[in-house]
Amino acid sequence: MPIPHIDFRANTQRVSPHLIAATQKSTRTALAKRAQAIEIVGEDQWQALRQAGHDIKLHALTHLDEYLPMVEARVTQAGGVVHWARDDVEARRIVLEIAAQHRVKRIVKSKSMATEEIELNRALQDAGIAVFETDLGEYIVQLAGQRPSHPTAPALHLTKEDIAALFRAKLGVDAPPDPQTLCEIARGKLREEFLSADMGISGGNFLIAETGTLVIVTNEGNGRMCTALPPVHVAIVGIEKVIPDWEGLAVMLKLLARSGTGQKITAYTNLITPGGEEGPREFHLVLLDNGRSRMLQDEIARETLACIRCGACANICPVYNHVGGFAYGAIFLGPIGAIVAPQLLGVKVAGDLPFASSLCGACGDVCPVKIPIPNILLHLRHRVVEGDQFASATVSPILGVGARVGTTALGTPWLYRLGARMMRLFQASFRRGDWLPTLPPPLDRWTMARPFPAFRSDFRAWWRRR
Amino acid sequence: MNQARAEILSGIRAALQSTPRLPLPATTRIAPRATGDADAEISRLLSEIEKLGGVTRRIANRDELPIALEELVAKESIQKATWWDTPELRALGVAEMLTALGVTSVPPDASPRTLAECDLGVTGADAALPETGTLVLRSSREQPQLVSLLPRVHLAILRPDARRADLQDVFAEIKSGKRAVLITGPSRTTDIEKVLTIGVHGPKALYVWCLETPFA
Ligand code: SF4
Repeated sequence: MPIPHIDFRANTQRVSPHLIAATQKSTRTALAKRAQAIEIVGEDQWQALRQAGHDIKLHALTHLDEYLPMVEARVTQAGGVVHWARDDVEARRIVLEIAAQHRVKRIVKSKSMATEEIELNRALQDAGIAVFETDLGEYIVQLAGQRPSHPTAPALHLTKEDIAALFRAKLGVDAPPDPQTLCEIARGKLREEFLSADMGISGGNFLIAETGTLVIVTNEGNGRMCTALPPVHVAIVGIEKVIPDWEGLAVMLKLLARSGTGQKITAYTNLITPGGEEGPREFHLVLLDNGRSRMLQDEIARETLACIRCGACANICPVYNHVGGFAYGAIFLGPIGAIVAPQLLGVKVAGDLPFASSLCGACGDVCPVKIPIPNILLHLRHRVVEGDQFASATVSPILGVGARVGTTALGTPWLYRLGARMMRLFQASFRRGDWLPTLPPPLDRWTMARPFPAFRSDFRAWWRRR
Repeated sequence: MNQARAEILSGIRAALQSTPRLPLPATTRIAPRATGDADAEISRLLSEIEKLGGVTRRIANRDELPIALEELVAKESIQKATWWDTPELRALGVAEMLTALGVTSVPPDASPRTLAECDLGVTGADAALPETGTLVLRSSREQPQLVSLLPRVHLAILRPDARRADLQDVFAEIKSGKRAVLITGPSRTTDIEKVLTIGVHGPKALYVWCLETPFA
């Protein structure tokens, strides 16, 4: 089924005030904890870690044709089965075939963007298989029949009252609006599913080429449950998740939790090399391309594939903080969503998203693997405006002009400084408090939906004070 | 399938054709932490675990171990327990002590359903990272992973020499093995209104005991 065009602006008008408040509260906490965690490491060391993280991922991406066969060889030697999926259709077919072979009736899943990307749950359910998301937030979102609103906190948009009502309606239990009790209820329900499931499905945070090891991090322990209990484990992993070695993994793990949640390390890191004395009888690894090898062609946009999904760029993004996750219209949220979606879904579908940014640069500064997100946003604006080689442009002429002007200005420092100064003068008459209630056309396309953050050349200073 | 493989790999090769293949960074040993002496490191380990909601204790000698177990059994209302069948735990006599306290023993290779009914799972730890409060557990027939996963309470007993300076040291040791898990504090989530809730899927309580050296 073709994905409909994502109308970012229209989406922003359907957002509950609770989501915005919850988003801002959560991102503020995450960023404060992140700052503390980095302070302990030391700024210089943190920068060195980021550089190493970036270099390791870029090395792996520019050697994917060597590392993927290495993963395949190691996993196969160890007794696992490796499958290659060119696209979502193939990936779904592979998983359905494995499920059919084992007469699978019930599946437990740990949070995975790749499986959401290929809409696996629906395919499994259509085949008559019960699928349970087991990350608490994902479980709640699945019960509600919704999509996640934050990359690492999927149920952010729901209050404890919403969740209690949902549990009463869907689980038929008496649920008070108390997080501890709600968590307890979900634990009980999901325990039973873990124990009776005949297949576990996971994604993977990293795939280590040197040993064919799958790495899954979770705080709840559901990743361990899904990969240890059911007799068959299927991991669906994007080909960009490959890293060369365990040394590289240590760097990635030091970056991931600190950047995402401000933890020093995630509660559980599962290191799964197939074929041990322990664990499921069968291990299947599905290597998913689905547009990734195509993304590699673009030398600038390629770095998108280095993302380790920490969510920090969403946390710090002023646009994300004011529109929430749903506005991005797909599973890819925040600044990383704005650069992934157009590349994976095509600019026809997601061409609006690269424009959903004030280009303040905060996302690039915060990214633990130094993905130059602002540059890629600009680059994709060009691709949208000039017509993409993969899908024709659908962007409106107004946004098109803005993109060109913006690009030129940022490429020329003096012009940028002049622009910033003029923007502030120009704003003076519109400004009310910290937010611009409306902007003159054509920029009002933006503020019609949400109050737009007042343009500041020193966004980061403002952010720290906020 | 082979066609998919060939097409993906040739797609990647074509995409990378006119691009520099970037080198692997020379070093990944960034920011090695200055480590203290054994005592300071163990204090750090235990305090990091405490910060995450774990309960820690230093066990001074053989006489203290049964006392600590008795307190744990009373506090957590332990009725059924399972444990790793390792030489280390056998030498400590953990099984006998728990049985003497009236705790029913469940073999670690019992079915998951039976293990899930256990109140307590006792394991060792192959390594520990004081910097982050992390325990490293490798799994094998002797060290089944479900013992640290399914019971309501997880107790890990370790010796001070399990400490390692850096994740890199841990990985150098375990990379040749099969399954392993790094455990840092009890199972946690903040998925409901960002309120920290302990014990969503894994154990609800994590106890970490460190035996003093020499342990006699
Ligand atoms: S782009 Fe960078 S900051 Fe954003 S989620 Fe990915 S790794 Fe994190």
